[in-house]
Amino acid sequence: MSAPITQPTPNWLERMVRDYSAFVVALVAAFMVIFFIGMATAPNFLTLFNLKTIIRDAALVGIMAIGLTFVTLSGNFFLLSLKETAALSIVAFATSMSAGYGFEISFLFTMVIALISGMSQGVLIGLGGNPIVVTLGAAGLLFGLGSYWSDNLVISFRRPHGAEWLGTGSFLGLPNITVAFILIAIAAEMTLRYTTFGRQVYLIGANRAAGKATGHENFGMAIKTCAIASVCAAFVAIAFSAQVSSAHVNYFSSEFGSSGDMTIMVIATVMVGGNSIMGGYGSTLRSSFGAVFISTVDNMMVLHGFNSGPRVLAVGLMIVFSIMVFALVRRGSRSQE
Amino acid sequence: MTPLLKLSSIKRSFGAIHALNGVNFEINIGEIMGLVGENGAGKSTLVKIISGFDDGYTGSFALNGAEVRFANPSRAERSGIAIAQQELSLIPSMSVAENIFISGDSVPTIATRRALALKAAPFLEEVGLDNVDALMAVNRLSVGEQQLVEVARLLAQEPQILILDEPTAALGESDSIRILGMVKRLAKRGKSIIYVSHRMDEIFQICDRITVLRDGESQAPQPASKLNVASLVELMLGRELVNMFPAHGDVTRDKPLLAVRDLWPDGTLEPFNFAVYPGEILGLAGQLGSGSGDALAVIGGAKSCRGGEISYEGDVFLPASPTEAIARGIAYCSDDRKVDGLFLGRPILENMTSPALKSFSRYGILEHQKEREQAFANGKKFTVDVSRMDAEAGVLSGGNQQKVALGKWLAINPKVLLVNEPTRGVDVGARAEIYQKLRDLANEGTAVIFASTDIQEVAGLADRVVSFYRGMQVGEIAQEQITAASILQQITHPFDDVPQMAEMAK
Repeated sequence: MSAPITQPTPNWLERMVRDYSAFVVALVAAFMVIFFIGMATAPNFLTLFNLKTIIRDAALVGIMAIGLTFVTLSGNFFLLSLKETAALSIVAFATSMSAGYGFEISFLFTMVIALISGMSQGVLIGLGGNPIVVTLGAAGLLFGLGSYWSDNLVISFRRPHGAEWLGTGSFLGLPNITVAFILIAIAAEMTLRYTTFGRQVYLIGANRAAGKATGHENFGMAIKTCAIASVCAAFVAIAFSAQVSSAHVNYFSSEFGSSGDMTIMVIATVMVGGNSIMGGYGSTLRSSFGAVFISTVDNMMVLHGFNSGPRVLAVGLMIVFSIMVFALVRRGSRSQE
Repeated sequence: MTPLLKLSSIKRSFGAIHALNGVNFEINIGEIMGLVGENGAGKSTLVKIISGFDDGYTGSFALNGAEVRFANPSRAERSGIAIAQQELSLIPSMSVAENIFISGDSVPTIATRRALALKAAPFLEEVGLDNVDALMAVNRLSVGEQQLVEVARLLAQEPQILILDEPTAALGESDSIRILGMVKRLAKRGKSIIYVSHRMDEIFQICDRITVLRDGESQAPQPASKLNVASLVELMLGRELVNMFPAHGDVTRDKPLLAVRDLWPDGTLEPFNFAVYPGEILGLAGQLGSGSGDALAVIGGAKSCRGGEISYEGDVFLPASPTEAIARGIAYCSDDRKVDGLFLGRPILENMTSPALKSFSRYGILEHQKEREQAFANGKKFTVDVSRMDAEAGVLSGGNQQKVALGKWLAINPKVLLVNEPTRGVDVGARAEIYQKLRDLANEGTAVIFASTDIQEVAGLADRVVSFYRGMQVGEIAQEQITAASILQQITHPFDDVPQMAEMAK
């Protein structure tokens, strides 16, 4: 019989000393100090209006990041085709709207296209294709289709078009897109915690071979998670189109976030949230907070009068920082044996 | 005479856990010192300290009478201490010679492949691999030969002390014999060897003295000649282990529960035929590569086969995936828990219930309370420490991990349990517990089939033995005829009557 090791559950301070090196603790502390000084000295930072702006800015990237988190947690890395999925979706939506099919039909039409594109990528990944290669190929194809379809022109549709509620409407003073972000964040987290599907995401992500051995195949998982990520991307595309009443394939290449590229911003959000890149560890809630965090830093820098160059650098530093911290944390928690 | 290496009052703790609590250890020149103890007794920690992987200890560490402290493994190597770890550190696609000179001070800056091979030859000879082409890629060698290459790599650094951490854990009988022979030869040439192993027979075969660790404390080293298996086990456990193997149950063999007909797993030489009855523990004996494990994997849906069929519960089928086997109540536990037996980064609880998520859910929603109760009940049955149910499976010691890897299958109430190497890398105490549990399951009517390269294990646990040799099924031994000798003969020399093991050992 092996001796059971009974030990009191360590409190957070003991855990921190055990899991983190002094270097990481110092790094986190330094970052927090800069962060709070920045917040305290930024003009108009703590106004209700500004806080709402922060969350609103986080919403679109946040929703896509939540979708992508399922893929990452299940051990299928990243989809590099998110921006292009959104591009094709926004063209599909605007084309349908401008042809006068109305919001509901256009919405469904767009979602079906996103679902097909996501599931086909999932099938290829599930069959053993490398996620990076598959989605890089898909990105080229989807973007090409969108460009061809729209002739690389801006498609606009006239107001009133029945989609204003999603683009510019609000509920109890909160923009509807913010409300959607919050609802999706809650639904995603509940799914991960309380459903068998959510558990399978973690198990397959933690060890694909053990998942297979216990009856959880990655084939179905890859299809489902890619579909979720694509649908989230399409939803963001629709919401954005509803806001500006138009569409162009390049909207998600230049209009978004400080780094200007939607795919990179979304992957950054998942990583800054502290999800394991290898899968099996993390949550959609982390990604949601990651989105709000990036948006807060960005907002703070805007208020301090930084232009876009330093802001792009800040996002880059946050990614490097979170990779370092979370890679070290995971190693710490394993080193007990 | 001062010992070559002498550690005294070594203490090492990780947070609240005292891994080592006052350990003394010594070794003389040309001596083979056995280091034994249960999983979690502190062997790995001690070995890590000696080889420089861990310098967070207190106590005295003297080499040749001079106090030393190694901040990292390369310092220890410079001082002549080298370690062969359980996980091989060879690069599979590179040649034998390139692997031997992969690091250390003896690496030539520029060398042709031929020159490197010439330089490697003496070290290969020393480990008994003089017939191996040094220009061959390492992944074309057997696991045992790779293990020997690993030792040759260490010898190239001219160590005085060599630590071998379970070198035979993954090896079959004949490869093990080569390793043991090499260890003896090295000791004769004046090297000191620290030999860590769970295999009692090996320990007594080669060690001069034996140091026992128990719960982080060391017992005074004793000459191997003054101990026997029973007294050594008692030292390790701190109590007498009355019965390693549980008593056999009553098996009524009128209708088989599962029978395989002409089952031909990929990579084996011939199709297999055998059957298992309810309540029976069937042992598949064979060395590494004999095909016994492959047969289990095919029944469990984890490996493909050329043909054949399985008749089970009045149905004839071949599972295409583990999912299908699980749905029929057939559980398969592979020989490598780290690869596909455990979700190391997830809580033990999630591991325990992973094969049977559907039984704890309604409309796709998990019923956490029910899941928890089931996990605790099954955990207690397999003597898993349930107070750590929410800790990651990765923090458990090898024996406890194996209990989780096996115990998780209780969740599906298996009718047939297939286990490949039930106790690889598991200490004596946990071993007895696992054997007892497998017997309990059989007594409840489950049919258990296990494959093992450990002859003692097959002889002690199995109600009936089917033997395998190089991809062929070669024999069957009924319960009354099961002895270690009868199994050994069938799995090593099935086609002639004269056992040659004694000769091979020389």
